[in-house]
Amino acid sequence: MVREKAENFKANDGPIQKWSYVVVLCIIFLLFAFPLLKPPAYFLSLLFTVFMYIALTESWNIMGGYAGYISLGHVTFFSIGAYTTAVFMNRLGVSPFATAIPGGFVAAMVAALVGIFLLKIRGAYFVISTFLLAVVTHLVFMNWNFVGSSSGLWFKLLPVSIEVNRIIFYEVMLLLAILITLVARWVEKSKFGVGLVAIREDEDVAQSVGIHAPKLKLLAFILSAFLAGIVGGIYGYYMSYIHPDTTFDINISLLILLMAFFGGCRTWIGPLLGATILSSANQVFVTFIGAEISRIFYGLLLMVVIIFMPDGMIEHIKNSRVVKKWVAE
Amino acid sequence: MSATHIIQSLISGLLLGAIYALLAVGFSLAWGTMKVMNISHAAFAVLGAYIAYWLFVLGKIDPLFSLPLVVLVLFILGGVVYRLFIRPITKAREPLMASMVVTFGLAIVVENLMSYFWRPDPRILKPPYTGSSLFIGEIAVSQGPLIGFVLAAIAITLLYFFLRNTYTGKAVQATWQNPIGAALVGVNTERVSLITFGLSIASAGVAGVAMSFIYAFYPPVQMIWTLFVFLVTIVGGVGSLIGTAAAGLVIGFVIGISAAFLPFIWVNVLLFGLLLLILLFRPSGLFQA
Amino acid sequence: MKGKKGKGLVISVAAVLAVFLIFGTLRTSVAKPIKIGGSLPETGIFSEAAKWIKRGYDAWLEDVNNKGGLLGRPVEMIIYDDESAPAKAVTYYERAITVDKVDLISGGYPGTANVAVMPLVEKYGKVFIGMGGHLKSFEQGYTYSFASPPLMSEWACLALAGPLDDLIPKEKWPKSMAILTMNNVIGLSARGNTIKVAQEHGMRVAVDETYNLPLTDATPLVSKAKGSGADLLVCMSFFDDAVMIVRAAKAMNYKPKMIFQLLASTIPAWMKELGEDGNSVLADMFWNSRLPYPGNKEINAAAKRKLGIPAGPTYFGLGYSWMKTLELAVKGSGSLDHKKIRDYLRSQKFDLPYGKGISFDSRGLPPPYAFTTQTTGGLVELVWPKEVATTKLVYPRPAWKK
Repeated sequence: MVREKAENFKANDGPIQKWSYVVVLCIIFLLFAFPLLKPPAYFLSLLFTVFMYIALTESWNIMGGYAGYISLGHVTFFSIGAYTTAVFMNRLGVSPFATAIPGGFVAAMVAALVGIFLLKIRGAYFVISTFLLAVVTHLVFMNWNFVGSSSGLWFKLLPVSIEVNRIIFYEVMLLLAILITLVARWVEKSKFGVGLVAIREDEDVAQSVGIHAPKLKLLAFILSAFLAGIVGGIYGYYMSYIHPDTTFDINISLLILLMAFFGGCRTWIGPLLGATILSSANQVFVTFIGAEISRIFYGLLLMVVIIFMPDGMIEHIKNSRVVKKWVAE
Repeated sequence: MSATHIIQSLISGLLLGAIYALLAVGFSLAWGTMKVMNISHAAFAVLGAYIAYWLFVLGKIDPLFSLPLVVLVLFILGGVVYRLFIRPITKAREPLMASMVVTFGLAIVVENLMSYFWRPDPRILKPPYTGSSLFIGEIAVSQGPLIGFVLAAIAITLLYFFLRNTYTGKAVQATWQNPIGAALVGVNTERVSLITFGLSIASAGVAGVAMSFIYAFYPPVQMIWTLFVFLVTIVGGVGSLIGTAAAGLVIGFVIGISAAFLPFIWVNVLLFGLLLLILLFRPSGLFQA
Repeated sequence: MKGKKGKGLVISVAAVLAVFLIFGTLRTSVAKPIKIGGSLPETGIFSEAAKWIKRGYDAWLEDVNNKGGLLGRPVEMIIYDDESAPAKAVTYYERAITVDKVDLISGGYPGTANVAVMPLVEKYGKVFIGMGGHLKSFEQGYTYSFASPPLMSEWACLALAGPLDDLIPKEKWPKSMAILTMNNVIGLSARGNTIKVAQEHGMRVAVDETYNLPLTDATPLVSKAKGSGADLLVCMSFFDDAVMIVRAAKAMNYKPKMIFQLLASTIPAWMKELGEDGNSVLADMFWNSRLPYPGNKEINAAAKRKLGIPAGPTYFGLGYSWMKTLELAVKGSGSLDHKKIRDYLRSQKFDLPYGKGISFDSRGLPPPYAFTTQTTGGLVELVWPKEVATTKLVYPRPAWKK
């Protein structure tokens, strides 16, 4: 049986597989080269936001999609990352490009500390707890002078023109989005990922077959937080000014949830797809249609997705008869 | 720190706590009996407040008189929401989680519909009797919260008697305790669920009106109210009416005491920090049997 | 015959030339409009003041276009609604600059939004004249932002110190202060200096509470203030929260000798919400329609024309003044080049609706100042400085009417 499996595996690496690698590499190259076309800074900002949501949703999905532990507190680690880099810059003058990864480490440490307790809770209670975590941290940051309380914190501006500024952040966030997606993909295909899925399907059964659920959950939580922290560090620098109300914004959590569910939280492709489509749509909507209408649309979309496509778009499409027929031909 | 001030704080807190209890009762009921965690509960409460507000501002109708209309409208809305969005979910693999996410979306929709039509400017409902206070010696009891308290007490009592003494109410209880058994005995569980949910939302509406006697409201406030709904529900034990009522008073007491001694801004941190701790260590609540 | 033909030729050529010339000048006078863009919180918790600012902008726009526009070109304004969210304000300003490609930008509101927008406009190199944010935001080394007139919360205390020093004898000063502050940059930056002023005037700080916006219930705060017996109530608040605090004070029959506020009483809706209870409340302000400075005649005339009221309400006048400063800078420098405008602003003295001979320092601020306003008979009057006072200070505050 093992030999059959190995042969199947090799057979998969056929021409379609190779083609898709080439296509993906081309797209990535084009994305990196896009600024050479001198697009308006506004578009670079827009794409920055898209890449950021890809990175955030992919990192969230390691916990929410693979392990099935839906967190409404992802913004906590995002904010910790942003604030860490801000404090480093303000007190030590170090550039966030250097401190973003340490920012991720700080977020990871907080996740480790909090996770030991938080991950004992399951299901809906876990969701509520993560939400509370975000709320409490938000309140604490609003009143803590070390992080600027309600005045917020500033970053020194990059000594370059606005066009170059936007290009730099565009490229950095693009790189982050790609790297984090790759990490998510790696996790999915690794033993670690399989363990997480087992936890999602039935945690108690998984425990009984020797999967050390608490350890795996904590690892996933820490990894997820680490990545979110790095993204936060770069985001803060991009905005040049951070404030608890902007970094702890509930809308960020809503969008991440929506993107993951819409695209499909079972695979690494889901969040990528969900984030790209919805983030771009969001920008267009909000600018031209108005914030409330777009939020109503997203709320409805979330409801529709849960009711009709609970496993996300990818699974829905995969399972739809139309696609099945097409693949069989 | 005068004794007057402390007592004043306590009384304010208790009045507030009862109103929070009313806000949470419907939510707790839906969760306990139907395994539906309705995150949009507070959003409908805000809607109730708006209905009373517009009737007052445009029609000069006192909010207390517009209550029957609020109850009716929200009961019907509750039924519609149940049919359209909740019922399909009850067949999902994990109905609690699914209902949570669906109602999260619903909360966003309801909140933004209200924001779109009525703008997110804060509103204060101010019928003439809310401007003054009753004085017990030096202690001022604001009339607004007092009326809200009375409203909440009456509503919760009515709900309690409904559940205990009417056929439908007993059917609801039966369905909760043993759905299959209830069905076997001839209870139309489908209709019971519909009525329960309708009641839940209707109670939210009444609670919203009560809240508006104390608080300024505007669509995004539903998120803050949701936190308090959780707080009271979890402390009181999901599904328990008495527990919820007691939890409301306890939390009101805690708010009162901490507001008297702590800097104001740390009161919420304390409350939600406590909730987090309860979730971590005693999720079944402080009052659950 | 030849002569006539020759003359005819010359005349027709001249005629054609004339037509071209006329057409040419006609075309340049139907010039491309100058676009000014920005955002305001037209909805949300800061919308009450912003409504008036927008009206001020519209009035200025009308006036400037009636006088031939800026640099000979008509002016248009694009104002987005940032829904009282600073993050949205940043997005809209960026949109105005990069997508709408506006020539100039307008001031935003409130300070929290401006603080977030300042780094952005610095990056894009656009002159940003408005109320400013708070002192710290002006100490980041930004060169393109100006506050004219400023709503500088750190200077609000001057409006409290002034009446104490000049209008009230020392024995009658309040003995203790209850200060309630909203938890944002504006509130907090006002609070620090105000506490200092109180202490310098021998007052004890009996209650010092901060609250998060939006304020849901003012009763606990006011109850604490009343319980402490403070005879000076200071509200470093916005509009709705300030209204709630005063209402709660009345409901509890809390009678401080003086109520001093950041800004709410200068907004027309204040009297509408509170009626008689809204009178005799002091506030700091940085512009008033009764000031005897250049430009106020136009502001009041515009108010009369557009709103049917005799004097410009505070935020109406502020909005008008911000645009007026921009107008003077653009006209004076003769250009839409933001570097030139910026340098012009730094190098000249200006006669503005809030003062004569105003000069801006390297941070973009005029010298520190404030006026003390008092709501009297439903109007916002000036009580300090004495040179510009329009009414007498009412101290101590009368009892609440039933």
